[in-house]
Amino acid sequence: MTLVETARRVQSSAVSAREAVETCLERIERLDPLLNAFIHVRGEEALAEAERAPEGPLHGVPVAVKDVIDVAGSPTTAASKVLADNVAGGDAGCVDRLRRAGAIVVGKLNTHEFALGATTTSPHFGPAHNPWDLERTCGGSSGGSGVAAAADLVPGTLGTDTAGSIRIPACYCGVTGLRPTIGVVPTTGVVPVSWTLDTVGPIARSAEDCALLHAVIAGERCEPVEGIRGLRVGVVDALFDRADPAVAAQVSTAVDELARLGATLERVEVPLLDDAGTINQLVLLTEAAEVHLRWLRTRLRDYGDDVRARLLAGLFLPSTAHVTGLRARRWFDDGLRGVFSRVDVLVAPEMPVLPPRIGSDTVSLRGRELPHRFALIPFNSPWSLAGLPVVSTPAGFVDGMPVGLAIVGRRRAEEVVLGVAHTLQKATDWHEQRPPLPAGHPSNE
Amino acid sequence: MPTESSPGPPSIEFLRAIAAQQGVDPDDADLEAVLGFLSVVMPGLAEIERRLPAETPFA
Repeated sequence: MTLVETARRVQSSAVSAREAVETCLERIERLDPLLNAFIHVRGEEALAEAERAPEGPLHGVPVAVKDVIDVAGSPTTAASKVLADNVAGGDAGCVDRLRRAGAIVVGKLNTHEFALGATTTSPHFGPAHNPWDLERTCGGSSGGSGVAAAADLVPGTLGTDTAGSIRIPACYCGVTGLRPTIGVVPTTGVVPVSWTLDTVGPIARSAEDCALLHAVIAGERCEPVEGIRGLRVGVVDALFDRADPAVAAQVSTAVDELARLGATLERVEVPLLDDAGTINQLVLLTEAAEVHLRWLRTRLRDYGDDVRARLLAGLFLPSTAHVTGLRARRWFDDGLRGVFSRVDVLVAPEMPVLPPRIGSDTVSLRGRELPHRFALIPFNSPWSLAGLPVVSTPAGFVDGMPVGLAIVGRRRAEEVVLGVAHTLQKATDWHEQRPPLPAGHPSNE
Repeated sequence: MPTESSPGPPSIEFLRAIAAQQGVDPDDADLEAVLGFLSVVMPGLAEIERRLPAETPFA
């Protein structure tokens, strides 16, 4: 059941808030041993809160949040040994808004350690598994959020996105994710990765679900535009050319569908597209090193190997790298603004490959073997760097695994990018497909 | 020979000295892994420094 449907059923008293929470808790208990989407389940607290949930657009709707987001009285571990004993003293700004809207937070979701990676394979809490193929990664860093939405453990989740961390798991898990415009959703009470790149956003079944969650956590109206006739869609050919041919071909069918629905397609070139990943790294790595400096000094050996290396790399970059990165960000942004003077949205494959096997750090892409993190950077960093809203929406399947379409909009154009995704979802059923969990499992009954 | 942009990746000994100044104590395996990152990022930084228009404002 989608988030919107759940909200309607609770508000019409077809089910009570308590029953909605109980359904989720039962499903989590049955399925999460396979999936490892949750780091912490707030069973008793959630049931108690369901009895006194305030009225609002999410009255009685169970949700879960990535374990870098504070929920008062619950652990915030960031999937790291460094924060293993950390208990949040208050709610993050986004959680406060969820609760005021009536939502019930049932738990904290698995993440790549400190949200600094794209596979959600914490050495301390174990990997989250892709529900479409339990041997494959679910993406990250908001991997638990993608898994929980795809496996219907909860109807709505929150993740965070610094350089793709909402969009990648949404794509790999076959659900919808929104990275909002930078600054629209408060990041107070969220463990930071990068002060100038971090965002908080929803991952859920549909664009409508994401719109409802985004409206609540942004504290503003969010009604996806209806219809896309005449919308000017810029197709980023360079990214289709770089993606795995089968993935590119499948995502192209989604773009063709946008044209059939009335959009006007235009092939576009994005200036400095090849440089955006480097610029993003200059900003992200140096800011992350600053965030973690006190723990690098005192808890260095408590980090996983990959995250420790990333943080130390940021420590060793010269201070000029950060300033150069911020100036180059403006340079990139100016070029992208020119593109958006000709089109309303950009589209590209969200990810160039299918999710790799858990434990595999490399992917094969157009005859080259390269690190997974290098493969994803050109598809995600440019839009993060510009601070623009991006939706990843399901765009079909390749070899039984979901692929995604990225829809990028102008600043504050969440209603546009969600509207494009919603229009596509009304015309297709890719987002409604459920993963084939093991035969005989209660979820398939 | 001096150049106008950042040099390539530094040596492990240099990294260890910088880390010590920051109060951080990585081992050799950590520093080898860091060099892997820097070997990609530093040439990219040098290239950006070379091409970034001088009039580009800060943020």
